[in-house]
Amino acid sequence: MPQNEVIQDLGLDEYKYHFITEDEPVFRSGRGLNEKVVREISAQKDEPQWMLDFRLKALKIYNAKPMPTWGGDLSNLEAVLDEIYFYVRPQEKMERSWDDVPPNIKETFERLGIPEAEQKILAGVGAQYESEMVYHSLKKEWDDKGVIFDSIEDGLKNHPEIFREHFGTVIPSADNKFSAMNSAVWSGGSFVYIPKGVELDTPLQAYFRVNQEQMGQFERTLIIADEGSKAHYIEGCTAPVYSTESFHSGVIEIVVKPNAHFRYTTIQNWSNNMYNLVTQRALVHENATMEWLDGNLGSKLTMKYPSCYLVGEGAHGSVLSIAYSGDGQHQDTGGKLIHAAPHTTSQIISKSISKGTGRSTYRGLCQVHEGAVGSKSNVECDALLINETSRTDTYPYIEIEEKRSNIGHEATVSKVGDEQLFYLMSRGMSEEEAMALIVRGFIEPIAKLLPLEYAVELNRLIDLEMEGSVG
Amino acid sequence: MAESPTIEGPVAGMMEGVTEHLNRQTVEALAADEPKWLAERRLAAWDAYERTPMPTTRLEEWRYTDLSRKLDLAPLRPVPWEARSFDRSAAPAGLLDAMEDDREASGHLVELDGTVASTDLREEFASKGVVLTSLRAAVESHPELIQELLATQALPADLGKFQALNAALWTDGILLYVPKGVRMERPIRVSRWIESAGKAHFSRTLIVAEEGSQVSYVDEIGSDPLSSQTLVSSAVEVFTRPNAQLQYVSLQRLGRGAFHLSQQRTIAEKDSTLDTLNVSIGASVARLDLNARLVGLGANSDMLGLCFGEDDQHFDHNTSQDHVAPNATSDLLYKGALDDRARSVFRGIIKVHRGALGTDAYQTNRNLLLSEKARADSLPNLEIEADDVRCSHGATIGQLDQDHLFYLMSRGLPRSLAERLVVIGFLGEILSRLPLGGVVEKVTGIIEEKLHA
Amino acid sequence: MPDWSRIASTSDCSGNGCVHAATAEGEKIVLVRWRGEFYALEDRCSHQDFPLSDGEMDEGELECVFHGARFDVRTGRAVALPAIRPVKTYPVEVRGDDIYVDLG
Repeated sequence: MPQNEVIQDLGLDEYKYHFITEDEPVFRSGRGLNEKVVREISAQKDEPQWMLDFRLKALKIYNAKPMPTWGGDLSNLEAVLDEIYFYVRPQEKMERSWDDVPPNIKETFERLGIPEAEQKILAGVGAQYESEMVYHSLKKEWDDKGVIFDSIEDGLKNHPEIFREHFGTVIPSADNKFSAMNSAVWSGGSFVYIPKGVELDTPLQAYFRVNQEQMGQFERTLIIADEGSKAHYIEGCTAPVYSTESFHSGVIEIVVKPNAHFRYTTIQNWSNNMYNLVTQRALVHENATMEWLDGNLGSKLTMKYPSCYLVGEGAHGSVLSIAYSGDGQHQDTGGKLIHAAPHTTSQIISKSISKGTGRSTYRGLCQVHEGAVGSKSNVECDALLINETSRTDTYPYIEIEEKRSNIGHEATVSKVGDEQLFYLMSRGMSEEEAMALIVRGFIEPIAKLLPLEYAVELNRLIDLEMEGSVG
Repeated sequence: MAESPTIEGPVAGMMEGVTEHLNRQTVEALAADEPKWLAERRLAAWDAYERTPMPTTRLEEWRYTDLSRKLDLAPLRPVPWEARSFDRSAAPAGLLDAMEDDREASGHLVELDGTVASTDLREEFASKGVVLTSLRAAVESHPELIQELLATQALPADLGKFQALNAALWTDGILLYVPKGVRMERPIRVSRWIESAGKAHFSRTLIVAEEGSQVSYVDEIGSDPLSSQTLVSSAVEVFTRPNAQLQYVSLQRLGRGAFHLSQQRTIAEKDSTLDTLNVSIGASVARLDLNARLVGLGANSDMLGLCFGEDDQHFDHNTSQDHVAPNATSDLLYKGALDDRARSVFRGIIKVHRGALGTDAYQTNRNLLLSEKARADSLPNLEIEADDVRCSHGATIGQLDQDHLFYLMSRGLPRSLAERLVVIGFLGEILSRLPLGGVVEKVTGIIEEKLHA
Repeated sequence: MPDWSRIASTSDCSGNGCVHAATAEGEKIVLVRWRGEFYALEDRCSHQDFPLSDGEMDEGELECVFHGARFDVRTGRAVALPAIRPVKTYPVEVRGDDIYVDLG
């Protein structure tokens, strides 16, 4: 059997999250992005004046910035953006109990397995449907310890000082065109505060679902991990498959204070009509650790480079990235590591698989500032190509101003070797089994870093589906 | 907020870089007595120059070299062509020194200020049809060859601003033509010397190794310190036909007044070997654009490079390994050692085109920072559009290998000597991979001298 | 050693929050006026070297228009990502209608 068909049999191309929920939003903005839409969103949220000013300034910045000419193909994006709804409010208010969530929306999340996972393995769950968080809840024991896990809107309302102190400081509106867009129209997302010394032993999860056609989702998340705290946040994303294109652009700002440890996991499985342009950045202080675990499996085009600004002595940052690009998909992902203080360390491990006409791009930056003595960084990228029509690119930027540092980057590109297949088949495996084994072995170094019990997305998609499809 | 519609946008660039001395009249004057095809080619190149914007740091390929801060074209007057002859007794000491090890070569050529002053080629090769001559003479003696290959297939004017400028304004240069089956054991040695400071120098090199031939070529360009900014532009086009073997070495040791632009493209056909070594030691700014195209099945290119920087020297190496044909191999290793406030940029790309199955391509960049203020940027890129390939790249930046140093010191070597040995060893790996007679000793000698200073 | 150089006249930078690009002895300088005082900084954002003079003042901070980095105009300190490093500041003196900076 040609390798092509084998991979199809592995189930990697099946999209299990295509189902459309019939519902009627309570409010929807007009199509396209303009000042009226921005004012409507702000009014819907009953925001303070400073936030409206912030949004309007961001809109000006967005309009002044040209479309990026690097990365993926954005030539059709302006036309797509003219047609989408930037704000869709699915229900009147956010609920704290699944019983109060409208039945059709609740059913959606049940089909995605969220309430079940919440009971079993999560410290808290947030669920966003279209533009708003429809559900948010945190287990009582964490609530009692002062953990805040709320929608971003409630964060602004209920914790205005700490919110304003940090909001937009890690990722300014002007950072890039899409951070400006998000800053103008943000809606939904989480506000998280982990108090000093509190260690969560189970993850917090936010689940993002786009249901409507021609919809834009712009969640905004602000996370502050206070000194010596420890937590893990997971986000998952899906949408039905439509013939038209949808758009998702999030901004995730994280402040990791001294000695804190924060892990942010994304398992992105958007339908492959989705543009997914996300800015994620963490400010990492003394002896703190930030880990990005970034799984990009879905979307038409993803451009996303989780960053760690290591500004405190001894800070550590890592990005573990896995990308799968099937027919027509382009995953343009990677990470940025900025060493701005002494003895900071970092690591990127990136694995990508390109199949059919899929294209996987690694794009990364490692920068060591003068004075960041004793800094160390290591980057490894491996790309696996399945077909002659598949493509992979590697674009690392390494900028070093400090001699007392140690920086390395390595990348390899290979195809699934005929020798490997032949060897495994000679040991009695079918070609499907052999292929599955090789692909699984390839991603294993990253897959094994996911919490074992947390098999909701990645494991189900790659591991279990492959096993199930064999034979 | 400032209204700034041009934020990160392309800069309108019509006519940028047209000056009192670098303009259409200068090109027309050069072209006046030339054959029609050549005059037209120069003027077309000039048109391309005029309509191409001056590269800015917003262009990926010029991200780390800010021409607006580093190059002032306004005062630069091109050196006019004039017949020159080489008079050993009147030659600059630096040039004579550079020519020291020329004696054993298959042929020699001396170029002064961009004009060929003398050539000699062993009779045994001349009689076999080998041509080593000035480009100007070749326009007369080998018009078909020059018309076919000069600034057409390898470095056409529309490739970039400075490719266009050289194609419009070259005063002279070198043609080496090696006929089918001719094998030359000893290298061709070319010494190029820049005398006039504060001027712009434009020279081209065209090398063709016909089927089954074999040749090596060592180009050394140098000058005295050069008191004011001097633009030295070299365009190098190299072709290997099926089964030919060619080694090209460039050794740049210009004075600190020089802004050196070296544009090189090599085109390797079926089963040919086309290796290059670029050594950059001199100039205040040295920019190398090297594109190796593997257009024939089974072609092979080793690409080696080395730079050693001091003071505020700035090296920018921009390479590409273009795999067009299947089963070709390329292996790149560039190393830099940087002292004081010197800075190096390595930007390299392996591009495997659709259908180039069986490609083996490797790319490695290693940098050694010897001082607190030195800086290195490395961008090793891959673009792979075929699946059955073996490609990898690696980059490292760091300080002297402390273990190595410690080992040498534990053997009783003083630290300064141990450090020198580690640096020489680090850079020596490059030289040992293309050990042309004379080159290894020479480059090692120059670097040792610098390390002692 | 002080090296005073005239870079502008007060009328070049008259309103509160005015941002003005100037050059002195080949150095590109951004001059800003904030609450009656003049401040001079190197006209180069420490993030990616873009000119700060294209940006605008906001509450005593100069914001780079290109990526939103912000600098305290009094000290040159970076106060918002993506910049981390400070930019150079220069002492300023107003002599009559002329503004001088000390490049030394």
